[in-house]
Amino acid sequence: MEDTAKKITTKKEFFKQYKKKSRLQEIWKMFLKNKLAVIGLIIFIIIVLVAITAPLIANYDNEAIKINVPNRLKSPNSEHILGTDELGRDIFARIVHGSRISLIVGLSSVAVALFIGGAFGAIAGFFGGTVDNIIMRCMDVFLCLPDVLLALAILAAFGTNLVNMTIAIGLSFTPKFSRVVRSAVMTVRGIEYVEAARAIGATNVQIITKHILINCIGPIIVQVTLYVASAILTISSLSFIGLGIQAPIPEWGNMLASGRAFMRDHAYIVMAPGLAIFITILSLNLLGDGLRDALDPRLKQ
Amino acid sequence: MSNTLLEVKDLKKYYKVPKGMLHAVDGVSFSIEKGKTLGVVGESGCGKTTLGRAILRLVEPTSGSVIFDDIDVIKLNRKKMRDMRKDMQLIFQDPFSSLNPRKTIAQTIEEPIVLANMIPNKDERFMRVLELMKTVGLAERLINTFPHELDGGRRQRIGIARALAMNPKFIICDEPVSALDVSIQAQILNLMKKIQREMGLTYIFITHDLSVVNHFSDDIAVMYLGRLIEKAPSETLFLNPVHPYTKALLSAIPVPRIHNRPQRILLRGEITSPINPEPVCRFVNRCNYAEPICSKEEPILREIEPNHFVACHIFAK
Amino acid sequence: MDIKKVNIEGNTLEIRNLVIEYVSDDEVVKAVNNVNIIIGSGKTLGLVGETGAGKTTTALSILNLVPGPQGKIVSGEVLLEGKNVLTMSEHELEELRGDKVAMIFQDPMTSLNPVLTVGDQIAEGLEIHRKISKKEALKQAKEMLELVGIPADRAGEYPYQFSGGMKQRVVIAIALACSPDLLIADEPTTALDVTIQAQVLLLINKLKKKYHMSMLMITHDLGIVAEVCDEVSVVYAGHIIEHGTLEDIFDNLRHPYTKGLFDALPNIEARRSELKPIKGLMPDPTNLPSGCPFHPRCDYVMDVCTKVLPENKWLSDTHRVQCHLYKDTNNSML
Repeated sequence: MEDTAKKITTKKEFFKQYKKKSRLQEIWKMFLKNKLAVIGLIIFIIIVLVAITAPLIANYDNEAIKINVPNRLKSPNSEHILGTDELGRDIFARIVHGSRISLIVGLSSVAVALFIGGAFGAIAGFFGGTVDNIIMRCMDVFLCLPDVLLALAILAAFGTNLVNMTIAIGLSFTPKFSRVVRSAVMTVRGIEYVEAARAIGATNVQIITKHILINCIGPIIVQVTLYVASAILTISSLSFIGLGIQAPIPEWGNMLASGRAFMRDHAYIVMAPGLAIFITILSLNLLGDGLRDALDPRLKQ
Repeated sequence: MSNTLLEVKDLKKYYKVPKGMLHAVDGVSFSIEKGKTLGVVGESGCGKTTLGRAILRLVEPTSGSVIFDDIDVIKLNRKKMRDMRKDMQLIFQDPFSSLNPRKTIAQTIEEPIVLANMIPNKDERFMRVLELMKTVGLAERLINTFPHELDGGRRQRIGIARALAMNPKFIICDEPVSALDVSIQAQILNLMKKIQREMGLTYIFITHDLSVVNHFSDDIAVMYLGRLIEKAPSETLFLNPVHPYTKALLSAIPVPRIHNRPQRILLRGEITSPINPEPVCRFVNRCNYAEPICSKEEPILREIEPNHFVACHIFAK
Repeated sequence: MDIKKVNIEGNTLEIRNLVIEYVSDDEVVKAVNNVNIIIGSGKTLGLVGETGAGKTTTALSILNLVPGPQGKIVSGEVLLEGKNVLTMSEHELEELRGDKVAMIFQDPMTSLNPVLTVGDQIAEGLEIHRKISKKEALKQAKEMLELVGIPADRAGEYPYQFSGGMKQRVVIAIALACSPDLLIADEPTTALDVTIQAQVLLLINKLKKKYHMSMLMITHDLGIVAEVCDEVSVVYAGHIIEHGTLEDIFDNLRHPYTKGLFDALPNIEARRSELKPIKGLMPDPTNLPSGCPFHPRCDYVMDVCTKVLPENKWLSDTHRVQCHLYKDTNNSML
């Protein structure tokens, strides 16, 4: 009798039979066990959604920007859920639109820091020796300056617009990122499977991309979330002292600054942006902690 | 065409440390014939691991030559060395850290083939991976599992499959079974012997476990503080060890027997520092037979009977 | 199980019907399954088995140090000189640990505090348990160092200044400082070189005699067992499948797993072409096989082995085995 069973000869068919157990699923499961982290994630997702749909939630020109002096300093009521500020603008609308700036600058500045700092850090960590020394000493020079100061210097010199802010804050985080990536790379570099890769003939580039970087993602992702929180705080600080986003563009920091004078009798005017900053940063920190715990292989069986 | 596959000549690896020069491997020479196994034994700090890495140029030797198939490997440039790696492979000690935790078994075994571009066709390549898995006794259904899902014995089999992927002529096995349970050790050792017979491989077997090395090697080289102090065929070494260190080493092995227990030779003191060693016998301050000449001159490796080499002033006359 | 009461007077340690599990959300690890151990005064028991057999968990239970909250002592007693350790208060346990019972672990690197001198670390136990002054404790600590073969003037040095073998001697000195009645040694020489291991084993033997100390030696190495132990318990999947004196186990073994362990050893004297491994793998402790846990790997398996856990059978006053092969006979079935 003829053997009618088909012989599996392709990789695809094998893979269909024996599915890969995704590591992401395991990490996700671990993450979900941490209730606080999940809350952080949900809050952050809400903030992102608010930022994306800002124009749909509150009209920019009419509510956030348009000065309406007779309407000033109204307490929270049915028309203005968070009240109005000293120039009659709807605080809720300004918070909603302010979230865009915070998130955009926060995320993009960290992206800048990650790419530049990450590249330098990876090279320094992988090659060690003189290369490491040179790169790290350059980074040290920048590390000496407090974050805000460096950003201040750039903004003062080149002007305060969104792009400059992104670059300024990004550059101020670059040395920190380079350190994180460098130490992650150095840790992994010493592990035997890297040596094994070299033994089978991988080039340096192949080793860095295929073996080292994928195993560094864990600590890097955690740092990313934490630095986004820092960046948002930095933007707000800069705006608070007047060197960040300028009026009339709503930004949580400059809202704090302009509302300060009226704080005593109209607390809501600073509480709203203050809380917005607080909740955003808290959610990112919870998220970051949750990620770090979920990615820690030691916590596994 | 000679039968010698590998010849190591006066191989040295020194490391610069704050206190001076650390002589990890200090002028080691030996040769191995095709299809044979050389066991390299010694305790921590003797340099056997560094020796293995230096032969494969995973650390760059300070001086000396490694002649593999009539080519001095040390002199090759980076690209040619990478090509050479197809023939010279390494099996690692720790089955936990020698596998990339983010790659499946299939990916790990496939990688050397991909890097060397030996089988461009995806499906053919995959068939080769399955073939390798079969050779080392890994079930097909494990192709998409990750290392952390498997036990030490299976992980070590993956390491072996990876080493075999490019059809090498020569494999250095760095303590391949030390991290495994006794019952699994036996399985893996049998497997490695079988593969050697079937594929005509030549092995260097690095270990600190003397009972295992006897079972597995044709010749054994004993290292102490970076130097080769005795080399002989396995049976000869165990029946007639000459160097005082070899004698002490063999007598120190705990024997799983309660009758006729052998007399223990106890060594005094501890191993001396490999940093800036004096040009005298490295073993002198622990040796029960030391004489004045031992503190003045370094002994050279001499052939005292066919294939039996010893470096000792007193016993290698 | 009816453990044969040989001479309960003066037994340093008695473990009775101990069952320990590790419970997590998804699964239950049956680590220790109805273990019975007796160590007489001044005797050394070797606990032999491979990784994951439950040896360390058993040892930790003696000091009531099984890591919670996952680790749960389900049932059983651990009697140290007649008193049940598992029902003691934390205060009573603290008095016990380091004084009556001491434990040394495998890795000397992590057993020592890197920021304290070795002298201080040895003296610490003395100060706590003997209630003496620091000066006096340090003096005794120096004596301990000499006893383990380290010059007393090194008492002021830090662990990093010692080699692995010497660190382990310091660990032994700390353990023995208060002359404990029972020393638990968990693979104490596995991380050491063979020649250093020989020195350390000799030291342990010497000190055992000097202090008339009982000892529980946990190891996977039968050679070490032959060197330091009086009696042997062979552990598999949390069960003690065979127990006896050195002669019983080395000359008259009965259990197929014990046989497998001996057969799998490379024999220095007889070079064979193939080693005889035990087929298969250690069982998953969350999913132990039915009946006898060794049956999937046993060359002598019978139908009853897959269904029923064997009873303990005493083959002599000292030798017992947990195997269906010996239901009706005491003679070797291997």
